[in-house]
Amino acid sequence: MGKLKLTLFLAFKSIIRGNRWAIVLIILVMSLSFANLILTPSILSGVTNTLNEQQVDTLFAHIVIDPKDEDHYLSNIDQTIKKIEQVHGVVGASAHLNSTAFMEYQWQDKNAPSDRGKSGSWTIIGINPIKEANVTTINENIIEGSYLDENDRDEIVLGVEIAGGDKAQTSPFLTLEGVRVGDDLRLTYPNGIQKEYRVKGIFQAHEMGKADRLAFVTKKEMASVMGRSIYADRASQILVRIEQTGDETIFIKKLEALGIDGEIRSWDEYGGAVGSIVSSFNVVASLISGIGLVVAAVVMFIVIYINVINRKRQIGILRAIGIKRSVIIFSYIIQTLFYAAIGVILGGLLFGHGIMPYFEHNPINLPIGVVSLAIKPVVIYSAVFGLILAAVFAGFIPVISIIKQSIIKAIWGN
Amino acid sequence: MIKIADLHKVYGRGITKTHALKGINMEVKPGDFVAIMGRSGSGKSTLLHLLGLLDTPTSGNILIDNIDVLQLPEAQKGSFRLERLGYVFQEYSLIPEMTILENVFIPAICLGKEKSYKQRATELLKTVGLEERLSHYPNEVSGGEQQRAAVARALINRPKIIFADEPTASLDMVSAKVVLDLLKKLNRELGQTVVMVTHEPEDEKYVDRVIWLRDGYVSNPHLAS
Repeated sequence: MGKLKLTLFLAFKSIIRGNRWAIVLIILVMSLSFANLILTPSILSGVTNTLNEQQVDTLFAHIVIDPKDEDHYLSNIDQTIKKIEQVHGVVGASAHLNSTAFMEYQWQDKNAPSDRGKSGSWTIIGINPIKEANVTTINENIIEGSYLDENDRDEIVLGVEIAGGDKAQTSPFLTLEGVRVGDDLRLTYPNGIQKEYRVKGIFQAHEMGKADRLAFVTKKEMASVMGRSIYADRASQILVRIEQTGDETIFIKKLEALGIDGEIRSWDEYGGAVGSIVSSFNVVASLISGIGLVVAAVVMFIVIYINVINRKRQIGILRAIGIKRSVIIFSYIIQTLFYAAIGVILGGLLFGHGIMPYFEHNPINLPIGVVSLAIKPVVIYSAVFGLILAAVFAGFIPVISIIKQSIIKAIWGN
Repeated sequence: MIKIADLHKVYGRGITKTHALKGINMEVKPGDFVAIMGRSGSGKSTLLHLLGLLDTPTSGNILIDNIDVLQLPEAQKGSFRLERLGYVFQEYSLIPEMTILENVFIPAICLGKEKSYKQRATELLKTVGLEERLSHYPNEVSGGEQQRAAVARALINRPKIIFADEPTASLDMVSAKVVLDLLKKLNRELGQTVVMVTHEPEDEKYVDRVIWLRDGYVSNPHLAS
């Protein structure tokens, strides 16, 4: 009891009566280190979240239903969509009837059939615009013109990387080189049908993969092109949006229980290259956090070391009196733990009331989209644990190095 | 009470080797007030450090109360210092973050004398004339007052022996006299054993006997026991 009381007493007196500037500096270093330990991973998590959200919002929704391997299309679509929409927690379901098409712009200006002109082959998707708006955000990303209406037949909406022009990031020769709303395109489908469409809208989804390289017409139009009687109630895919990202597995089981005849998968199984990028970001985030922690530990060590060295004589005197080494060591560890706790609290307040609100009002505008901070609890726990562990070592090592010296050397300050 | 036999202390190695003590033999009996004197570099502070278990000799024996203290493990040496020895350093050795009262009762907390340590510390500070300075910090009192507080701290655990390493070296004459009178009073009235290193010839009048050191030897061996 005497030892514990003395340990706490020594720590308390050092904190209360110690060099105030040194204490302020230590706590400042700890606060900023803690905020930094959360900030960097949160930015990277924000980037990965944005990438994931874009995948969900523009390409796959949360759940994708594909035909089984032996089938080319899903059947009884209207009935299936109704069944899916009745599941509690499903926001919407939309059928896609996919094809490819050879698209030509200003084809009238071609001098010869061999002249490539402004053309290329892209995926074109037939959708019900109303149902699709419940599932993806293409309708919200129109940058020119307007979105499709349910009864549109000769209108097409293009991704910006097909249309080309100033806002496209793809090299011009891989686009239609500047299609504008109101322009006409000629599409040639794989079944040989050739048809002209007026560009109704151009969208920019900012998605890194392929969303901006898609074109949309109504499903009625696509069924008409492909053969109405057969394709009116068929689909290449059904996309399902649910209320809460992360619940995909639960809803996949619910949809399987409905007896839907298709392969039901979560959006992240389609991630492909973007999934690899996300995984890479997670590795980078871990590395940066680790380096940040080491830097924080070294800075804390230096500041605390200088502080402890300045008390070398006092440590020697305490030992000369007969105070046990363990009491002196633990008194310094308690001090650093106290500084770390204050650092965590102040760093947390700085992050929660300063950095986070700032980024909420000023999100980072990157080429891949708008990125906000994404804070994972595990990052906070790791930062708290890491900082406290670093503080313990930063307090322990300097004091143990002095304790190991002879008492006389410590008192003389050698 | 204290018996030293053939005590040697060598600092450094090779060409920097210094033989500070070259076979010291001496005894201190209970209730003695002994001064160790000598020129600078004669080895008197080194001897007191060894007696106070603050340093270890190169060879030799130190018996305190018939305990071979050099054989004690480091942790037990700390306990021995805490319970049986009091040490007054040459320069002000109070902890600046603690009040005068706290500085005095610190060694008592470690012994777990929780109920009485504040009262005893207060009484000791009255004895040394610092009853008005209990809540002052070291930088708020004079050098002489700090040194008297250091004497009070040395006494808090009722040690059998007090070692004082040139306790008046940093003090003016008036403060030095107060401290020496205090040590004398403790010796005479309480029977406290005191071993004091000093280089002031006038301090001789306070002590029972003087052991002179010269170049690491006792120069008056007939008075060393």
